[in-house]
Amino acid sequence: MSAAAVTEIPGGVVLLSIEPDGPVPIYQQIRDRIVEAIAGGRQPAGSALPSTRQLAVDLGVNFHTVNKAYDLLRQEGLLRLGRKSGAVVRRDASSGPPDPGWAEDWTGRLRTLLAEAAAQGMPATDIAGECQDAVADFAFPAAAAAGNGSGSPP
Amino acid sequence: MRAASLAGILPVLIVGMAICSAPAVSRPTLPFGVRVPRARAGAPVIKRERRAYYWRTAAIGLCCTAVAVAIVGHGSWWLTRIILVPEMAAGFCCFRIAQRKIAAVKNKDEWFAGLRQTVVTDTSWRTDPPRFPLRWLVPALAVIAATIAVGALRYPGLPAHIVTTSGHRVSKSAVSALLVAFQLYVTAQWTGIMLIIYRSRPDIEAADPAASTLRYRRFLAAFARALLTMAALVDTTLLLIALGIWQVYRPSGAVQALPILPVAAGLVLLATVAARSGQGGSRLNGNVRGLALATGTDRDDDRLWKAGLFYVNRDDPAIMVAARFGAGWTLNFGNRVAWLIIAGVVATPACLAVIGAAAGM
Repeated sequence: MSAAAVTEIPGGVVLLSIEPDGPVPIYQQIRDRIVEAIAGGRQPAGSALPSTRQLAVDLGVNFHTVNKAYDLLRQEGLLRLGRKSGAVVRRDASSGPPDPGWAEDWTGRLRTLLAEAAAQGMPATDIAGECQDAVADFAFPAAAAAGNGSGSPP
Repeated sequence: MRAASLAGILPVLIVGMAICSAPAVSRPTLPFGVRVPRARAGAPVIKRERRAYYWRTAAIGLCCTAVAVAIVGHGSWWLTRIILVPEMAAGFCCFRIAQRKIAAVKNKDEWFAGLRQTVVTDTSWRTDPPRFPLRWLVPALAVIAATIAVGALRYPGLPAHIVTTSGHRVSKSAVSALLVAFQLYVTAQWTGIMLIIYRSRPDIEAADPAASTLRYRRFLAAFARALLTMAALVDTTLLLIALGIWQVYRPSGAVQALPILPVAAGLVLLATVAARSGQGGSRLNGNVRGLALATGTDRDDDRLWKAGLFYVNRDDPAIMVAARFGAGWTLNFGNRVAWLIIAGVVATPACLAVIGAAAGM
Protein backbone atom coordinates (compact mmCIF):
# COMPACT_ATOMS: atom_id res chain seq x y z
CA MET A 1 0.00 0.00 0.00
CA SER A 2 1.40 3.41 -0.93
CA ALA A 3 1.97 6.20 1.57
CA ALA A 4 -0.45 8.32 -0.49
CA ALA A 5 -3.27 6.53 1.32
CA VAL A 6 -2.65 8.84 4.28
CA THR A 7 -3.23 12.46 3.35
CA GLU A 8 -3.25 15.72 5.20
CA ILE A 9 -5.26 18.90 4.93
CA PRO A 10 -4.64 22.22 6.67
CA GLY A 11 -5.26 22.13 10.39
CA GLY A 12 -3.51 18.84 11.05
CA VAL A 13 -6.39 16.67 9.90
CA VAL A 14 -5.30 13.12 9.09
CA LEU A 15 -7.36 11.15 6.63
CA LEU A 16 -7.15 7.37 6.92
CA SER A 17 -8.39 5.29 4.02
CA ILE A 18 -8.96 1.58 3.80
CA GLU A 19 -10.14 -0.82 1.12
CA PRO A 20 -12.79 -2.98 2.85
CA ASP A 21 -13.03 -5.35 -0.12
CA GLY A 22 -9.26 -5.48 -0.73
CA PRO A 23 -7.03 -8.53 -0.21
CA VAL A 24 -5.28 -7.13 2.89
CA PRO A 25 -7.15 -7.73 6.19
CA ILE A 26 -8.87 -4.57 7.40
CA TYR A 27 -7.13 -4.54 10.79
CA GLN A 28 -3.79 -4.71 8.98
CA GLN A 29 -4.78 -1.80 6.74
CA ILE A 30 -5.78 0.31 9.75
CA ARG A 31 -2.50 -0.54 11.47
CA ASP A 32 -0.52 0.32 8.31
CA ARG A 33 -2.28 3.66 7.81
CA ILE A 34 -1.59 4.70 11.40
CA VAL A 35 2.08 3.69 11.14
CA GLU A 36 2.34 5.79 7.96
CA ALA A 37 0.66 8.74 9.70
CA ILE A 38 3.15 8.51 12.58
CA ALA A 39 6.12 8.23 10.21
CA GLY A 40 4.84 11.16 8.15
CA GLY A 41 4.65 13.38 11.24
CA ARG A 42 0.89 13.73 10.98
CA GLN A 43 0.32 11.79 14.20
CA PRO A 44 3.27 12.82 16.40
CA ALA A 45 4.08 11.26 19.77
CA GLY A 46 1.50 12.33 22.35
CA SER A 47 -1.24 12.95 19.80
CA ALA A 48 -4.61 11.28 20.31
CA LEU A 49 -6.31 8.84 18.01
CA PRO A 50 -10.06 8.17 17.97
CA SER A 51 -11.28 5.51 20.40
CA THR A 52 -11.75 2.01 18.97
CA ARG A 53 -15.52 2.47 18.96
CA GLN A 54 -15.35 5.84 17.23
CA LEU A 55 -12.93 4.66 14.55
CA ALA A 56 -15.10 1.57 13.97
CA VAL A 57 -18.14 3.82 13.42
CA ASP A 58 -16.20 6.14 11.10
CA LEU A 59 -14.86 3.31 8.95
CA GLY A 60 -18.06 1.25 9.13
CA VAL A 61 -16.22 -1.82 10.40
CA ASN A 62 -16.58 -4.10 13.39
CA PHE A 63 -15.38 -2.74 16.73
CA HIS A 64 -13.16 -5.83 17.20
CA THR A 65 -11.35 -5.10 13.92
CA VAL A 66 -10.14 -1.72 15.18
CA ASN A 67 -9.39 -3.24 18.56
CA LYS A 68 -7.12 -5.77 16.87
CA ALA A 69 -5.29 -3.05 14.92
CA TYR A 70 -4.78 -0.93 18.06
CA ASP A 71 -3.59 -3.95 20.01
CA LEU A 72 -1.06 -4.70 17.30
CA LEU A 73 0.23 -1.12 17.47
CA ARG A 74 0.42 -1.36 21.25
CA GLN A 75 2.49 -4.54 21.02
CA GLU A 76 4.81 -2.77 18.57
CA GLY A 77 5.27 0.05 21.09
CA LEU A 78 3.69 2.70 18.89
CA LEU A 79 0.47 3.18 20.82
CA ARG A 80 -0.49 3.61 24.45
CA LEU A 81 -4.00 2.53 25.38
CA GLY A 82 -5.52 3.89 28.55
CA ARG A 83 -9.01 3.91 29.96
CA LYS A 84 -8.96 7.64 30.62
CA SER A 85 -6.44 8.85 28.02
CA GLY A 86 -7.76 6.66 25.19
CA ALA A 87 -5.45 5.79 22.30
CA VAL A 88 -2.33 7.98 22.27
CA VAL A 89 0.71 7.74 20.00
CA ARG A 90 3.56 6.54 22.22
CA ARG A 91 6.54 7.26 20.02
CA ASP A 92 7.60 8.69 16.67
CA ALA A 93 10.85 9.40 14.78
CA SER A 94 11.91 12.01 17.35
CA SER A 95 11.53 9.64 20.30
CA GLY A 96 15.03 8.18 19.92
CA PRO A 97 16.33 4.86 18.59
CA PRO A 98 14.06 1.82 18.45
CA ASP A 99 13.94 -0.83 21.15
CA PRO A 100 16.81 -3.38 21.12
CA GLY A 101 16.14 -6.30 18.80
CA TRP A 102 13.49 -4.46 16.82
CA ALA A 103 15.84 -3.38 14.00
CA GLU A 104 17.03 -6.95 13.48
CA ASP A 105 13.49 -8.22 13.05
CA TRP A 106 12.59 -5.32 10.75
CA THR A 107 15.67 -5.87 8.57
CA GLY A 108 14.59 -9.45 8.05
CA ARG A 109 11.11 -8.37 6.91
CA LEU A 110 12.58 -5.65 4.69
CA ARG A 111 14.90 -8.12 2.99
CA THR A 112 11.91 -10.33 2.17
CA LEU A 113 9.98 -7.36 0.79
CA LEU A 114 12.91 -6.24 -1.38
CA ALA A 115 13.51 -9.83 -2.46
CA GLU A 116 9.93 -9.95 -3.77
CA ALA A 117 10.67 -6.96 -6.03
CA ALA A 118 13.97 -8.47 -7.20
CA ALA A 119 12.33 -11.85 -7.86
CA GLN A 120 9.67 -10.10 -9.95
CA GLY A 121 12.44 -8.58 -12.09
CA MET A 122 12.41 -5.02 -10.80
CA PRO A 123 15.77 -3.32 -11.52
CA ALA A 124 17.98 -2.49 -8.52
CA THR A 125 17.90 1.24 -9.35
CA ASP A 126 14.08 1.21 -9.34
CA ILE A 127 13.99 -0.61 -6.00
CA ALA A 128 16.41 1.91 -4.50
CA GLY A 129 14.45 4.80 -6.02
CA GLU A 130 11.18 3.57 -4.53
CA CYS A 131 12.86 3.26 -1.14
CA GLN A 132 14.21 6.81 -1.37
CA ASP A 133 10.82 8.22 -2.41
CA ALA A 134 9.09 6.51 0.51
CA VAL A 135 11.68 7.70 3.04
CA ALA A 136 11.45 11.25 1.66
CA ASP A 137 7.80 11.35 2.78
CA PHE A 138 8.65 10.60 6.40
CA ALA A 139 9.23 13.26 9.04
CA PHE A 140 12.61 12.85 10.69
CA PRO A 141 13.91 15.03 13.53
CA ALA A 142 15.57 18.21 12.25
CA ALA A 143 18.94 17.37 13.84
CA ALA A 144 19.07 13.94 12.21
CA ALA A 145 18.11 15.38 8.84
CA ALA A 146 20.74 18.13 9.13
CA GLY A 147 23.34 15.61 10.21
CA ASN A 148 22.73 13.72 7.03
CA GLY A 149 23.95 16.80 5.15
CA SER A 150 21.35 16.65 2.40
CA GLY A 151 18.28 17.57 4.36
CA SER A 152 16.76 14.19 3.65
CA PRO A 153 17.07 11.04 5.73
CA PRO A 154 19.57 8.29 4.89
CA MET B 1 -59.85 29.40 2.67
CA ARG B 2 -60.35 28.28 6.26
CA ALA B 3 -57.38 27.36 8.43
CA ALA B 4 -58.60 23.77 8.74
CA SER B 5 -58.73 23.46 4.92
CA LEU B 6 -55.22 24.90 4.66
CA ALA B 7 -53.98 22.45 7.29
CA GLY B 8 -55.49 19.61 5.23
CA ILE B 9 -54.07 20.64 1.84
CA LEU B 10 -50.62 21.95 2.82
CA PRO B 11 -49.12 18.59 3.94
CA VAL B 12 -50.11 17.00 0.61
CA LEU B 13 -48.52 19.86 -1.32
CA ILE B 14 -45.37 19.92 0.84
CA VAL B 15 -44.85 16.14 0.65
CA GLY B 16 -45.33 16.30 -3.13
CA MET B 17 -42.73 19.07 -3.42
CA ALA B 18 -40.28 17.23 -1.16
CA ILE B 19 -40.57 14.00 -3.19
CA CYS B 20 -40.16 15.87 -6.48
CA SER B 21 -37.16 17.94 -5.39
CA ALA B 22 -35.22 15.17 -3.57
CA PRO B 23 -32.86 14.31 -6.49
CA ALA B 24 -31.78 17.97 -6.71
CA VAL B 25 -30.27 17.90 -3.21
CA SER B 26 -28.88 14.34 -3.33
CA ARG B 27 -25.18 13.72 -3.88
CA PRO B 28 -24.24 13.64 -7.60
CA THR B 29 -22.45 10.33 -6.97
CA LEU B 30 -25.63 8.80 -5.49
CA PRO B 31 -28.35 9.29 -8.11
CA PHE B 32 -31.51 7.57 -6.83
CA GLY B 33 -29.55 5.69 -4.20
CA VAL B 34 -27.18 4.07 -6.68
CA ARG B 35 -23.47 4.53 -5.93
CA VAL B 36 -21.65 5.65 -9.07
CA PRO B 37 -18.05 6.77 -9.63
CA ARG B 38 -17.59 10.53 -10.00
CA ALA B 39 -16.70 10.22 -13.68
CA ARG B 40 -20.10 8.61 -14.34
CA ALA B 41 -22.22 11.15 -12.45
CA GLY B 42 -23.24 12.77 -15.73
CA ALA B 43 -24.06 9.53 -17.58
CA PRO B 44 -26.95 9.78 -20.10
CA VAL B 45 -29.05 7.20 -18.23
CA ILE B 46 -28.86 9.30 -15.04
CA LYS B 47 -29.89 12.50 -16.81
CA ARG B 48 -32.73 10.71 -18.58
CA GLU B 49 -34.06 9.07 -15.41
CA ARG B 50 -33.80 12.27 -13.40
CA ARG B 51 -35.86 14.13 -16.01
CA ALA B 52 -38.48 11.37 -16.11
CA TYR B 53 -38.64 11.32 -12.30
CA TYR B 54 -39.29 15.09 -12.14
CA TRP B 55 -42.17 14.84 -14.61
CA ARG B 56 -43.73 11.80 -12.96
CA THR B 57 -43.52 13.07 -9.39
CA ALA B 58 -44.66 16.59 -10.35
CA ALA B 59 -47.76 15.06 -11.97
CA ILE B 60 -48.39 12.89 -8.90
CA GLY B 61 -47.97 15.87 -6.54
CA LEU B 62 -50.36 18.05 -8.56
CA CYS B 63 -52.98 15.29 -8.84
CA CYS B 64 -52.87 14.54 -5.11
CA THR B 65 -53.06 18.24 -4.22
CA ALA B 66 -56.04 18.65 -6.58
CA VAL B 67 -57.78 15.70 -4.92
CA ALA B 68 -57.04 17.21 -1.48
CA VAL B 69 -58.53 20.56 -2.57
CA ALA B 70 -61.61 18.75 -3.91
CA ILE B 71 -62.32 16.67 -0.82
CA VAL B 72 -61.25 19.02 1.95
CA GLY B 73 -64.21 20.09 4.02
CA HIS B 74 -66.20 17.04 2.93
CA GLY B 75 -66.25 14.41 5.63
CA SER B 76 -63.58 13.84 8.26
CA TRP B 77 -60.29 15.73 8.51
CA TRP B 78 -58.31 12.50 8.07
CA LEU B 79 -59.44 12.08 4.46
CA THR B 80 -56.77 14.53 3.29
CA ARG B 81 -54.19 12.73 5.44
CA ILE B 82 -54.99 9.43 3.73
CA ILE B 83 -53.96 10.97 0.37
CA LEU B 84 -50.43 11.17 1.75
CA VAL B 85 -50.21 7.34 1.67
CA PRO B 86 -50.77 6.84 -2.09
CA GLU B 87 -48.75 10.00 -2.77
CA MET B 88 -45.71 8.63 -0.95
CA ALA B 89 -46.21 5.14 -2.39
CA ALA B 90 -46.33 6.57 -5.93
CA GLY B 91 -43.23 8.66 -5.23
CA PHE B 92 -41.41 5.56 -3.99
CA CYS B 93 -42.40 3.67 -7.16
CA CYS B 94 -40.96 6.51 -9.29
CA PHE B 95 -37.76 6.33 -7.24
CA ARG B 96 -37.52 2.54 -7.71
CA ILE B 97 -38.03 2.79 -11.48
CA ALA B 98 -35.17 5.29 -11.81
CA GLN B 99 -32.99 3.35 -9.36
CA ARG B 100 -33.40 0.03 -11.17
CA LYS B 101 -32.71 1.51 -14.60
CA ILE B 102 -29.51 3.26 -13.46
CA ALA B 103 -28.34 0.20 -11.50
CA ALA B 104 -28.94 -2.03 -14.55
CA VAL B 105 -26.71 0.13 -16.77
CA LYS B 106 -24.10 0.47 -14.01
CA ASN B 107 -23.86 -3.31 -13.52
CA LYS B 108 -23.97 -4.10 -17.24
CA ASP B 109 -21.19 -1.65 -18.11
CA GLU B 110 -19.22 -2.43 -14.91
CA TRP B 111 -18.70 1.18 -13.86
CA PHE B 112 -16.59 0.21 -10.87
CA ALA B 113 -14.32 -2.23 -12.74
CA GLY B 114 -10.65 -1.49 -12.08
CA LEU B 115 -11.36 1.33 -9.61
CA ARG B 116 -9.83 1.40 -6.14
CA GLN B 117 -12.81 1.45 -3.77
CA THR B 118 -12.02 2.96 -0.41
CA VAL B 119 -13.59 4.19 2.82
CA VAL B 120 -12.03 7.34 4.27
CA THR B 121 -12.20 8.89 7.69
CA ASP B 122 -10.83 12.02 9.29
CA THR B 123 -9.26 11.33 12.70
CA SER B 124 -9.68 14.98 13.73
CA TRP B 125 -13.45 14.43 13.60
CA ARG B 126 -12.98 12.70 16.95
CA THR B 127 -9.91 14.40 18.37
CA ASP B 128 -11.26 17.87 17.45
CA PRO B 129 -15.01 17.24 17.09
CA PRO B 130 -17.44 19.85 15.78
CA ARG B 131 -19.24 21.63 18.59
CA PHE B 132 -22.97 21.21 18.95
CA PRO B 133 -24.61 24.68 18.63
CA LEU B 134 -26.14 24.59 22.10
CA ARG B 135 -26.98 28.32 22.04
CA TRP B 136 -29.44 27.68 19.22
CA LEU B 137 -31.52 25.66 21.67
CA VAL B 138 -32.26 28.82 23.67
CA PRO B 139 -35.18 30.06 21.47
CA ALA B 140 -37.01 26.71 21.80
CA LEU B 141 -36.50 26.66 25.57
CA ALA B 142 -37.62 30.30 25.80
CA VAL B 143 -40.85 29.50 23.92
CA ILE B 144 -41.53 26.55 26.26
CA ALA B 145 -40.85 28.78 29.29
CA ALA B 146 -43.20 31.42 27.86
CA THR B 147 -45.90 28.77 27.32
CA ILE B 148 -45.58 27.60 30.92
CA ALA B 149 -45.61 31.20 32.21
CA VAL B 150 -48.70 32.21 30.21
CA GLY B 151 -50.41 28.94 31.14
CA ALA B 152 -49.73 29.52 34.84
CA LEU B 153 -51.19 33.04 34.60
CA ARG B 154 -54.31 32.04 32.65
CA TYR B 155 -54.99 28.69 34.36
CA PRO B 156 -56.82 29.91 37.53
CA GLY B 157 -59.27 32.02 35.51
CA LEU B 158 -60.25 29.25 33.07
CA PRO B 159 -63.33 27.01 33.46
CA ALA B 160 -62.65 23.33 34.29
CA HIS B 161 -63.59 22.33 30.74
CA ILE B 162 -62.83 24.31 27.61
CA VAL B 163 -64.60 24.07 24.24
CA THR B 164 -62.06 24.16 21.39
CA THR B 165 -62.62 25.70 17.92
CA SER B 166 -63.31 22.21 16.57
CA GLY B 167 -66.14 21.87 19.10
CA HIS B 168 -64.43 19.42 21.47
CA ARG B 169 -64.94 19.83 25.22
CA VAL B 170 -61.61 19.19 26.94
CA SER B 171 -60.25 19.28 30.46
CA LYS B 172 -58.16 22.43 30.99
CA SER B 173 -55.49 20.64 33.01
CA ALA B 174 -55.09 17.84 30.43
CA VAL B 175 -54.91 20.10 27.39
CA SER B 176 -52.47 22.49 29.09
CA ALA B 177 -50.18 19.68 30.25
CA LEU B 178 -50.30 17.92 26.87
CA LEU B 179 -49.36 21.03 24.90
CA VAL B 180 -46.31 21.64 27.08
CA ALA B 181 -45.45 17.93 27.01
CA PHE B 182 -45.58 17.96 23.22
CA GLN B 183 -43.30 21.02 23.11
CA LEU B 184 -40.82 19.25 25.38
CA TYR B 185 -41.06 16.07 23.29
CA VAL B 186 -40.35 17.85 19.99
CA THR B 187 -37.45 19.84 21.42
CA ALA B 188 -35.91 16.91 23.29
CA GLN B 189 -36.33 14.47 20.40
CA TRP B 190 -34.77 16.72 17.76
CA THR B 191 -31.96 17.78 20.07
CA GLY B 192 -31.28 14.12 20.91
CA ILE B 193 -31.26 13.09 17.26
CA MET B 194 -28.89 15.95 16.37
CA LEU B 195 -26.58 14.93 19.23
CA ILE B 196 -26.49 11.37 17.85
CA ILE B 197 -25.76 12.77 14.38
CA TYR B 198 -22.88 14.82 15.80
CA ARG B 199 -21.40 11.57 17.11
CA SER B 200 -22.05 9.74 13.84
CA ARG B 201 -19.53 9.35 11.07
CA PRO B 202 -18.97 12.24 8.70
CA ASP B 203 -20.11 11.85 5.11
CA ILE B 204 -16.69 11.98 3.41
CA GLU B 205 -16.12 11.36 -0.30
CA ALA B 206 -13.09 9.21 -1.09
CA ALA B 207 -12.62 11.04 -4.39
CA ASP B 208 -12.30 14.37 -2.59
CA PRO B 209 -11.88 13.67 1.14
CA ALA B 210 -10.30 16.91 2.34
CA ALA B 211 -12.77 19.27 0.72
CA SER B 212 -15.78 17.06 1.45
CA THR B 213 -14.79 16.95 5.15
CA LEU B 214 -14.75 20.74 5.30
CA ARG B 215 -18.03 20.96 3.42
CA TYR B 216 -19.64 18.37 5.71
CA ARG B 217 -18.65 20.37 8.80
CA ARG B 218 -20.39 23.44 7.38
CA PHE B 219 -23.42 21.40 6.31
CA LEU B 220 -23.77 19.82 9.75
CA ALA B 221 -23.55 23.18 11.54
CA ALA B 222 -26.10 24.77 9.18
CA PHE B 223 -28.49 21.82 9.43
CA ALA B 224 -28.27 21.67 13.25
CA ARG B 225 -29.00 25.40 13.56
CA ALA B 226 -31.92 25.09 11.13
CA LEU B 227 -33.38 22.09 12.96
CA LEU B 228 -33.13 23.77 16.37
CA THR B 229 -34.79 26.86 14.88
CA MET B 230 -37.46 24.57 13.46
CA ALA B 231 -38.01 23.14 16.95
CA ALA B 232 -38.48 26.69 18.29
CA LEU B 233 -40.98 27.40 15.48
CA VAL B 234 -42.96 24.19 16.15
CA ASP B 235 -43.01 25.14 19.83
CA THR B 236 -44.32 28.58 18.77
CA THR B 237 -47.09 26.90 16.80
CA LEU B 238 -48.04 24.92 19.90
CA LEU B 239 -47.88 28.12 21.97
CA LEU B 240 -50.26 29.84 19.53
CA ILE B 241 -52.64 26.87 19.72
CA ALA B 242 -52.42 27.03 23.53
CA LEU B 243 -53.12 30.78 23.54
CA GLY B 244 -56.28 30.10 21.51
CA ILE B 245 -57.41 27.37 23.89
CA TRP B 246 -56.59 29.52 26.91
CA GLN B 247 -58.74 32.27 25.41
CA VAL B 248 -55.91 34.79 25.18
CA TYR B 249 -57.07 35.54 21.62
CA ARG B 250 -60.12 34.45 19.64
CA PRO B 251 -59.14 32.12 16.78
CA SER B 252 -61.71 33.07 14.17
CA GLY B 253 -61.50 33.92 10.47
CA ALA B 254 -58.00 34.43 9.07
CA VAL B 255 -56.51 34.38 12.59
CA GLN B 256 -57.22 30.63 12.68
CA ALA B 257 -54.33 30.16 10.23
CA LEU B 258 -51.89 31.90 12.60
CA PRO B 259 -50.50 28.69 14.22
CA ILE B 260 -49.64 27.27 10.79
CA LEU B 261 -47.31 30.16 9.97
CA PRO B 262 -44.34 29.26 12.26
CA VAL B 263 -44.27 25.64 11.04
CA ALA B 264 -44.51 26.81 7.43
CA ALA B 265 -41.62 29.24 8.03
CA GLY B 266 -39.58 26.40 9.55
CA LEU B 267 -40.19 24.15 6.56
CA VAL B 268 -39.12 26.94 4.20
CA LEU B 269 -35.96 27.37 6.30
CA LEU B 270 -35.11 23.65 6.19
CA ALA B 271 -35.79 23.51 2.45
CA THR B 272 -33.55 26.53 1.91
CA VAL B 273 -30.68 24.97 3.88
CA ALA B 274 -31.07 21.68 1.99
CA ALA B 275 -31.21 23.45 -1.39
CA ARG B 276 -28.16 25.62 -0.67
CA SER B 277 -26.01 22.93 0.96
CA GLY B 278 -27.05 19.78 -0.85
CA GLN B 279 -26.66 16.42 0.87
CA GLY B 280 -23.53 16.45 3.07
CA GLY B 281 -22.61 19.93 1.74
CA SER B 282 -22.20 18.62 -1.81
CA ARG B 283 -23.44 21.91 -3.25
CA LEU B 284 -21.19 24.10 -1.11
CA ASN B 285 -17.88 25.54 -2.22
CA GLY B 286 -15.07 24.12 -0.15
CA ASN B 287 -12.07 23.21 -2.22
CA VAL B 288 -8.73 22.72 -0.54
CA ARG B 289 -6.27 24.58 -2.68
CA GLY B 290 -3.08 22.99 -3.89
CA LEU B 291 -3.80 19.55 -2.52
CA ALA B 292 -4.73 16.58 -4.65
CA LEU B 293 -6.09 14.23 -2.06
CA ALA B 294 -8.12 11.59 -3.83
CA THR B 295 -7.68 8.25 -2.06
CA GLY B 296 -9.74 6.31 -4.60
CA THR B 297 -13.43 6.19 -5.25
CA ASP B 298 -16.26 5.57 -2.80
CA ARG B 299 -16.96 1.92 -2.09
CA ASP B 300 -19.82 0.40 -4.06
CA ASP B 301 -22.06 -0.44 -1.10
CA ASP B 302 -25.42 -0.75 -2.90
CA ARG B 303 -25.96 -4.25 -1.49
CA LEU B 304 -26.18 -2.78 2.04
CA TRP B 305 -29.07 -0.50 1.05
CA LYS B 306 -32.40 -2.32 0.83
CA ALA B 307 -34.69 -0.85 -1.82
CA GLY B 308 -32.04 1.86 -2.20
CA LEU B 309 -33.26 3.71 0.89
CA PHE B 310 -32.85 1.51 3.98
CA TYR B 311 -29.38 0.87 5.37
CA VAL B 312 -29.04 -2.57 6.96
CA ASN B 313 -25.53 -3.52 8.07
CA ARG B 314 -25.06 -5.59 11.21
CA ASP B 315 -21.27 -5.26 11.02
CA ASP B 316 -21.44 -1.47 11.11
CA PRO B 317 -21.66 -0.06 14.66
CA ALA B 318 -23.05 3.25 13.33
CA ILE B 319 -26.55 4.13 14.49
CA MET B 320 -27.18 6.89 11.98
CA VAL B 321 -25.65 7.38 8.54
CA ALA B 322 -26.05 9.92 5.75
CA ALA B 323 -29.20 9.32 3.70
CA ARG B 324 -28.81 8.12 0.11
CA PHE B 325 -31.71 10.11 -1.33
CA GLY B 326 -32.49 13.72 -0.47
CA ALA B 327 -30.72 15.53 2.37
CA GLY B 328 -30.34 14.35 5.94
CA TRP B 329 -29.64 11.12 7.78
CA THR B 330 -31.17 7.71 8.21
CA LEU B 331 -30.91 4.86 10.69
CA ASN B 332 -28.81 1.74 10.35
CA PHE B 333 -31.62 -0.82 10.64
CA GLY B 334 -29.04 -3.52 11.31
CA ASN B 335 -28.25 -1.88 14.66
CA ARG B 336 -30.42 -2.72 17.69
CA VAL B 337 -30.05 0.79 19.12
CA ALA B 338 -31.72 2.15 15.97
CA TRP B 339 -34.82 0.07 16.73
CA LEU B 340 -34.85 1.39 20.30
CA ILE B 341 -34.79 4.94 18.90
CA ILE B 342 -37.71 4.12 16.58
CA ALA B 343 -39.61 2.64 19.53
CA GLY B 344 -38.96 5.79 21.60
CA VAL B 345 -39.93 8.16 18.79
CA VAL B 346 -43.18 6.25 18.16
CA ALA B 347 -44.07 5.39 21.75
CA THR B 348 -43.89 8.91 23.20
CA PRO B 349 -46.45 10.60 20.89
CA ALA B 350 -48.59 7.43 21.06
CA CYS B 351 -48.67 7.76 24.86
CA LEU B 352 -49.48 11.47 24.55
CA ALA B 353 -52.30 10.63 22.10
CA VAL B 354 -53.72 7.99 24.47
CA ILE B 355 -53.59 10.45 27.39
CA GLY B 356 -55.22 13.08 25.17
CA ALA B 357 -57.99 10.67 24.15
CA ALA B 358 -58.55 9.73 27.78
CA ALA B 359 -58.87 13.43 28.59
CA GLY B 360 -61.51 13.81 25.90
CA MET B 361 -59.39 15.72 23.37
